[in-house]
Amino acid sequence: MEIIEHPPIFHIPGIPDQVFYTWVVMAILVIVGVISTRRLAMVPRGSQNFMEVVLEQFLNELDETVGHDGRRYIPLIATLGLFILVANLMGLVPGLIAPTANLNTTAACALIVFFTYHWIGMRKQGVVNYLKHFAGPVPVALKPLMFVIEIISHCARPLSLSLRLFGNMMAGHILLAIFFFMMGLDGMLGWALRGTLGGIVLGAPATLLIVLFVIGFLFPLKILVALIQTFIFCKLAMLYIAEAVAEPEHH
Amino acid sequence: MRRILTVTLMTVLAAPGLAWAADATGGGDMAKAFAVLAAGLGFGLAAGLCGLGQGRAAGSAVDAMARQPGAIARIQTAMLLGLAFIESLTLFVFVIAVILLFVKS
Repeated sequence: MEIIEHPPIFHIPGIPDQVFYTWVVMAILVIVGVISTRRLAMVPRGSQNFMEVVLEQFLNELDETVGHDGRRYIPLIATLGLFILVANLMGLVPGLIAPTANLNTTAACALIVFFTYHWIGMRKQGVVNYLKHFAGPVPVALKPLMFVIEIISHCARPLSLSLRLFGNMMAGHILLAIFFFMMGLDGMLGWALRGTLGGIVLGAPATLLIVLFVIGFLFPLKILVALIQTFIFCKLAMLYIAEAVAEPEHH
Repeated sequence: MRRILTVTLMTVLAAPGLAWAADATGGGDMAKAFAVLAAGLGFGLAAGLCGLGQGRAAGSAVDAMARQPGAIARIQTAMLLGLAFIESLTLFVFVIAVILLFVKS
């Protein structure tokens, strides 16, 4: 990986990059939170207005997915969502890295969701009832089989949740790195600067084309992917919680 | 006839990759060569089939949206979730390809 990926600008020796940039994300979120709640007003203006609009979206999604009792889980969902959103978007700033492009960060988020929704389900329905709910509405002879299958499918959830976010972010970074490599001094720009006729005729326009392609297509695509992945992570967390709190129908 | 042509073309296209990979690692390391080959072929296959699946999903979603413009928001949510699930399978292959290519064993 270190062949094509440049290290970030700020690097503290002894601290892994993703941990340091997680702290940066936390600092950004804390500062935004403090600024937007410093002067609370009934008619919000400025940053308070912005944050209220953002949180309103989370509330709407929760109402739609979990139901009337869903607003209790807004701290978990909104924290995860804001953290992942800021972390994803930070990877677009040249010189910074996205903490979510590292499997450790996304696995941490996914494991939090995993343990939380089981905890919520057990609190809500009781341990025995919750475990019964795993076996599903099938004949008694099939229940052990269903139970094992359900356990496996539940264990696959944090895996797919973390790998999806990590894979999307990582793929985008590798794509950008490859395009910058093609554009840079080892690629088209270097060819153009070498002074040969072919380099000047072909290399310079190719450099320009790649720059335009990256700015006009890849960066908007990456912004879109960052937003969509945040949405999907939150939506799946909500769906898992909704499934855990839902009363079984066959009673 | 066309099948034979395709297979020949694939072999011809794959051979330089194999040779390059063998060259780059000093000739003797066949495992690395096959890792490069497997990463490329596997990811190509995964991306193509994921394209087919996502195309079907998006096409049906657009059909439904055209038929019921009132339900666009909900259809869009469902479509995004479905696309994410389809895409995650490709991303598993992507992670495996990255492991094959960059992790030194």
